[in-house]
Amino acid sequence: MPRDAHMLNDVAGRKSRHVWAARRRFLVPYVFISPNLALFTAFSFAPLLYAVYISFHDWSLIGDSEYLGLGNYVRLFKDKLFWQALANTGVYAAITVSASMAFGLLLAVGLNRRLPGRTVLRSLYFLPVVVAAVATGTMAAWMFNDNYGVVNAILVRLGMGRIAWLSTPQWALPSLAIATVWVRLGFNMIVYLAALQSIPSLYYEAAKIDGANAFHQFRHITLPLLMPATFLLLVLNIIYSFQVFDLIYVMTGGGPGFSTTMVVQYIYQAAFVTSEMGYASAMGIVLYVLILAFTVVQWRASRQSESVL
Amino acid sequence: MQTKTPTSLLKRRTIITTALGGAAMTASTWRSARAQTPVTLSLAVWGAQAEEDAFNAAIRRYQQLHPNVTIKLEVSGNSSQLYQMVDTRLAGRQAPDLFRVQYQQLGRYAAARAVVDVSKYLDAGYDKGFLPAFWQAVSFKGKPHALPHHTDTFAVYTNRELMAKIGVQAPTSLEQSWSWAEFIRISRALKDKAAVPYGFAMSWQNGAAYRWLPFLYQHGGQLLNADSTATQLSKREGVETIAWTQSWFKEGLVPPSSSIKSSEQPQNLFANGTIGMLIGGDWQIPFLSKNMKAEWDVTYMPRDVGMASDLGGNALAISRDCKNPDVAADFLKFMVDEANMEDFVTAAQFLPVRSTLAARELPYKLRPEAMGVFVRQAATIPVHMVTTETLPNFAKINARLTDELDLAFTSGQDATTTARNIDSQVQPLLAA
Amino acid sequence: MRALRRRIGTRTSDLLVWLALTAGALVMIFPIYWMFATAIRPRTEIFASLVALVPHAITWDNFAAIWQRTPLLDWAGNSMFIAVIGVVVTVFANLLCGYTFAKFRFPGRDLLFFAILGALMIPIQVIIVPEFLIVAQLGLLNSPWGVILPRAAEAFGIFMVRQFMVSIPDELLEAARLDGAGEFNIFLRVVLPLSRPIIAVLVIFTFMWRWNDFAWPLVVLTDHAQYTLPLGLNLLRGENNPEWGQVMALALLALLPMLAIFLAFQRHLVQGIASTGLK
Repeated sequence: MPRDAHMLNDVAGRKSRHVWAARRRFLVPYVFISPNLALFTAFSFAPLLYAVYISFHDWSLIGDSEYLGLGNYVRLFKDKLFWQALANTGVYAAITVSASMAFGLLLAVGLNRRLPGRTVLRSLYFLPVVVAAVATGTMAAWMFNDNYGVVNAILVRLGMGRIAWLSTPQWALPSLAIATVWVRLGFNMIVYLAALQSIPSLYYEAAKIDGANAFHQFRHITLPLLMPATFLLLVLNIIYSFQVFDLIYVMTGGGPGFSTTMVVQYIYQAAFVTSEMGYASAMGIVLYVLILAFTVVQWRASRQSESVL
Repeated sequence: MQTKTPTSLLKRRTIITTALGGAAMTASTWRSARAQTPVTLSLAVWGAQAEEDAFNAAIRRYQQLHPNVTIKLEVSGNSSQLYQMVDTRLAGRQAPDLFRVQYQQLGRYAAARAVVDVSKYLDAGYDKGFLPAFWQAVSFKGKPHALPHHTDTFAVYTNRELMAKIGVQAPTSLEQSWSWAEFIRISRALKDKAAVPYGFAMSWQNGAAYRWLPFLYQHGGQLLNADSTATQLSKREGVETIAWTQSWFKEGLVPPSSSIKSSEQPQNLFANGTIGMLIGGDWQIPFLSKNMKAEWDVTYMPRDVGMASDLGGNALAISRDCKNPDVAADFLKFMVDEANMEDFVTAAQFLPVRSTLAARELPYKLRPEAMGVFVRQAATIPVHMVTTETLPNFAKINARLTDELDLAFTSGQDATTTARNIDSQVQPLLAA
Repeated sequence: MRALRRRIGTRTSDLLVWLALTAGALVMIFPIYWMFATAIRPRTEIFASLVALVPHAITWDNFAAIWQRTPLLDWAGNSMFIAVIGVVVTVFANLLCGYTFAKFRFPGRDLLFFAILGALMIPIQVIIVPEFLIVAQLGLLNSPWGVILPRAAEAFGIFMVRQFMVSIPDELLEAARLDGAGEFNIFLRVVLPLSRPIIAVLVIFTFMWRWNDFAWPLVVLTDHAQYTLPLGLNLLRGENNPEWGQVMALALLALLPMLAIFLAFQRHLVQGIASTGLK
């Protein structure tokens, strides 16, 4: 069919009904994806290209711009703060992705059993996912407040001391991680639950006959069959963790010191606080390329072990 | 080296329209035009309910006088959201006609010619009505790029009951202000004798590092030299001031959550008795009147070799995208005239920036005697500090101050290193 | 005998699992309880340094204040309009697009698919300004369409639809083609009726995202009359001294429709995701 494309111009003179039909069939997929493609082009790809263009300039957003060539990228490679932010993001992503996926799987396995009130339980675990992000950050900052937050109030009542959750470098990241897992857990649980339900019970029956215990069944049947779901969740969770903004902006503002400054935080600051849109764009492009590369690597790896796409 | 803005590639059509609009409305025709054509102006602000109400009241009065003009008030959630919105819309040539702007941010907009030079709309001697420090704050290269609307400053809120417990009388005049040493002694006493968890807290959260500068001036230091060409924080005064403010945290006199990057709201801590004193602005009065059970008073900022306090408050500016800058300027002048300024500052607990208003007692709705302290304290705002804080690059300078001071307060970075880092990072921002 | 012992063993382990899950669920909903507790707590209790876990007194003032102070119904109406239209546009376009990627072979298919997946990874802070410039040029500022259109294409949705549609038998489509049905008709009459589970998933997630969207509407909508609930919530949070009780009350109210939708579609959600071949 691709050959038809080249022929389109040559055959204009002898347009038979057959060629017309072939051309139509050739066009159908493009017509079908065109609404989405148009939207993506206008609102994702064009802005992205434009951001690339901006990244070669020194631009304050409110004034004139100046061509810098690779200046912003050179600055970025020398900027210790950027690398620190990237390292922080990596640590934050590693903690939140692994914790929310592991707990999500655990919950899914538990809630896949026939238990009284499991529909209610599932709903309760999913509930945080539907809370607006604006409210989540505010709520978390409110609860983790060192001085009048409820978390410390509970600790004090349990006879433990107060913890300076958001104002000490060692506790700030764990506080953020707890809030993130709270938000993310329900989504991971639902996807894992769905994946578990599509495993035929036949496999388990067979394993039982072979005398495999529960752990072996989980290790050799459940886990391998959950690979596609795990891949999907890994990609989505990593993207989410790399793009986290509101929660941290409201809870710690990137502090204390630089202990919770993430790349997106730093991008926001450059764009809208210190008026360095060109530099912000350069950092954004680098972050985008990193996420993309990460996903491709994961996709390759998971494709080797199991066919996903 | 200057090239077209990236925007212009996309926005050429809009720019042409704007240019035509501007040309059609030259100075000679605006008087007649204003009387007939309906004009709609947008005014972007942020603020508490009292401020929003005060803006709306002034707008209603203006619209009664000028029935052809409609002013649409757009309220942002907070000041940083307003700047993000204004900057983005300036890039798209869609900025609001008028916007509220902190004195610290105005230099940035003026230098980028994002706000209009309003001098051509003002009569000779118009500036004489304003306190000189604030007229200077809105001037860029000698031309006003906004009109000063109000100011606010910092003083010390004290918990009456706790102060009585430690037997301390607060100073009743500027001359008697506590020295640094006395202030620290009282903070320790609050902790030790009155069993308050922390002595005090300073309101500079969410990155308001510029509010640290008054302490530097109190100690006889400056961030920049006299003509703002070089940094000088590494001098003895600078290092000592960093060390002194750092000692608040080291000694546990202030809550660890009260550092600069934190999103803590120290007024809550004052209201619930976690701290005995709050170094804060006059706009906290409505909150404390409503939410604090204990009695409280206001006294002057501590002093060292000199007195100094924070430069707060906002101006009103006209954006370059405004198609009727003449009408906008007329509205601005209305907003900052004596009657409207008095109405605004008394309703929302701010300080006036007109000399006639500053000279007399204003009928504040809440705690007029406490407002008196702020009014007198405002006289100590250092003129050199105003120059520094209104530099075009001050937003960048403030970001560096925020980073480094927060490291000193929360992560144990020593005072000398902090001063050196700030000097070396701020110096390149001055040449531009 | 052995069977009985095993059944008792299962019972005990079920009980333990149930207890653990219930305890976990209580922790998970505690923050939402806390929103409620803060919303009904008298102002004087809110900042207590050792806050009581159960309010000593109950007040509904905060809900009343929201009702009087904010155009609550307007905001809810705007949110509903954006979410509903957003769902219709997004779900239809995603189904069509996902179907095409699953069931057609055409030059550039894989490249286009990866480009679309790549769009999922663009951090919004990077493109928010260029995107604003485009939306402004299209004259969509301060209009619900300026919120709906830029978010109408959802890479996540296309991905899920493609995963689901791969398992639709080709024979079914071929049979319809032999009957002379047009391609769009096949999509409408054959493919869509088979896609109920995935449609449920898309509807729930798209509704949730549009209902809770914040960063983008904040840039596009400036007129308070056009605000959505999250923007209203942000406004209420304010610069210096939020009325915490009111913030929490509004957050709770904004949560209710989502809760209703989730409870109604909970079963379909799990089945729908299960049907995308995540087996």
